[in-house]
Amino acid sequence: MIASLQNASSSTPALSGANASRADADLADIARVLAGDVEAFEGIVRRWQGPLVNMAWRYCRDRGRAEEMAQEALIRAWRGLGSWRRESSFSTWLFALAANVFRSELKRFPTVNVPLQNAPEPAAPATQHRELAAQSNADSVRRAVLALPPRYREPVVLFYFHEMDIAAAARTMHIPEGTLKARLSRARALLRSRFPQLETAHNEMELANLNTGKEA
Amino acid sequence: MNPTKTDDSKMKLTEIDRILATEEPLIPTSGFLASVMESVREEAAAPQPIPFPWTRFIPGILVATGVLGWGAFKMIRQGLPEIRLVSLAPPHLPAAAIQPVEQAGWVALALGVSLLSWLLSRRLAGRSGLL
Repeated sequence: MIASLQNASSSTPALSGANASRADADLADIARVLAGDVEAFEGIVRRWQGPLVNMAWRYCRDRGRAEEMAQEALIRAWRGLGSWRRESSFSTWLFALAANVFRSELKRFPTVNVPLQNAPEPAAPATQHRELAAQSNADSVRRAVLALPPRYREPVVLFYFHEMDIAAAARTMHIPEGTLKARLSRARALLRSRFPQLETAHNEMELANLNTGKEA
Repeated sequence: MNPTKTDDSKMKLTEIDRILATEEPLIPTSGFLASVMESVREEAAAPQPIPFPWTRFIPGILVATGVLGWGAFKMIRQGLPEIRLVSLAPPHLPAAAIQPVEQAGWVALALGVSLLSWLLSRRLAGRSGLL
């Protein structure tokens, strides 16, 4: 999944050689922008539009709004490029800035969420086609994340956006890793209590996969 | 999904983790890049905001504060005995009738301050001279 996402330039960055060249390209473009070349910012937008739109999408689950928020984040990045002190990587700075923008935007105009206990039940696999049921389950869980209390919601959003990298999520939120872990643990417990059947389903699936492997 | 990244080997991955970690990526719409760049170009082309003239404002405000403070001090100094007179003694002639020269001085000072503030405001607005 990670590789496909990177090819599509739409996912979180993984630590790889591709990212090193991306970082070099960022540095070159930033230098040109700071020297007054406005058009050099296009390279930065081209490289980061995917990750930022996807990050915003995970915050609000509204495509139009996600693009608006990502655009705002990129414009703020343009304005604040001079303030990047290079103490952290450009991506860390950009994600932290974007998280701030998304947080303030959602404070100004919150998304309409149902409380967690009212989140729709996942569909029973027996009543629908298996793929549709899985899709419905996934949608229910993803929407339930938005129904979490705000202090637990953002750690979940950023943890999975950063491909389960606690350090990256903590850096984006500017909080210690321990705090993020604690909030994440609570959030996952809330989600598990809301969707206990999914945990069972996963265990059964793992067992089935294991059996298939043994038989093969 | 890479559970080793979590630094938490005890974390048990559930179906919920799988769902949240494996989400189809959203591809930005075709006009997104152009829209961002258009906004950036607009910002770049916009004239720089005029910085507030602190170097001119601070001396002006210091002078004004000094004048007002001095005026207030004088008023209080002159006013206190009069208030005492008003409260304790029977009504008498107003101070303006008793000290016309001093009052004329105050009027002149007020006119002077008004003239100075008018000249200062014209200077700040980028024009010089009386007209």
